[in-house]
Amino acid sequence: MAQLPGRQPPQSGATEASLVARARAGDVDAFEQLAGGYADRLFAMLLRLLGDRGEAEDVAQEVMLRAWRGIGRFDGRSTFFTWLYRIAVNEANRSLAKRSRRPASVSIDAEALKLPAAPRDEPSRQAENNELRTELGTALSALPPPYRTAIVLRDVEGLSIQEAAEIAGVSQAAFKSRLHQARLRLRALIGDDALT
Amino acid sequence: MRLLGRADDHQWSQQHLSHYVEGDLGRRARRRLERHARGCVDCGRGILAIRALVRMFRGLDDLAGVRAPAGIFDRVRAAGAAGPRGDAASAPPQNA
Repeated sequence: MAQLPGRQPPQSGATEASLVARARAGDVDAFEQLAGGYADRLFAMLLRLLGDRGEAEDVAQEVMLRAWRGIGRFDGRSTFFTWLYRIAVNEANRSLAKRSRRPASVSIDAEALKLPAAPRDEPSRQAENNELRTELGTALSALPPPYRTAIVLRDVEGLSIQEAAEIAGVSQAAFKSRLHQARLRLRALIGDDALT
Repeated sequence: MRLLGRADDHQWSQQHLSHYVEGDLGRRARRRLERHARGCVDCGRGILAIRALVRMFRGLDDLAGVRAPAGIFDRVRAAGAAGPRGDAASAPPQNA
């Protein structure tokens, strides 16, 4: 899994548990510190799921608002990260469902995402990577949302099956089934020539 | 005892390539797929393709520089005065 910024929980001395307790008591600063530790990673995941920066920004704000409003119900039986991600996946799916009711749809590709090119890559490698990103992004956008979510959580984010299933809100068996079907569909979409 | 190949081995193997790569097959099923893939170019290539697919997604670093928008907590700030509500509609239940 590629390292993304903001993948670590808060490290400023306050433990996650103490930040949760303060946030539950109504401390907005504590909530921002708590959720802010995951904000970059969460936003990157939303970009992958939604493929549109403006929509991802709107959904990210909504995720934080819903998490803030719901923090009183968070009792630590799952990790805060898992809980927050589950809200994010739910909100992304809600947004995708709204989009499907609109006439025009947005496809996911590197251009739409305005992805930064890796600066240290050589030109030929950069072109190859850009082509690959575009191809992967286009194929990903063609998957139904549950399959897209499975690929993003397991293969892109590198989460365990247990974590990913919990975030997706399904059993581990159901999650694995989605993941395997999604990979087979992606193989068919991209083609073995491009993959091997 | 060596199991004889079955007529549906190819279709079954094609459907279980990702299970194989993920390590989700039991010993007998894994051996069935491996035995078939040794003599089947398409399934052998399929295993390589699924492995490559997983590797490509795990290696994606295109969003490494992405930062959350500066205003990600704007709505929280705006709602902050009211405090968290324990809103049942806002957040998923624990371990649901």
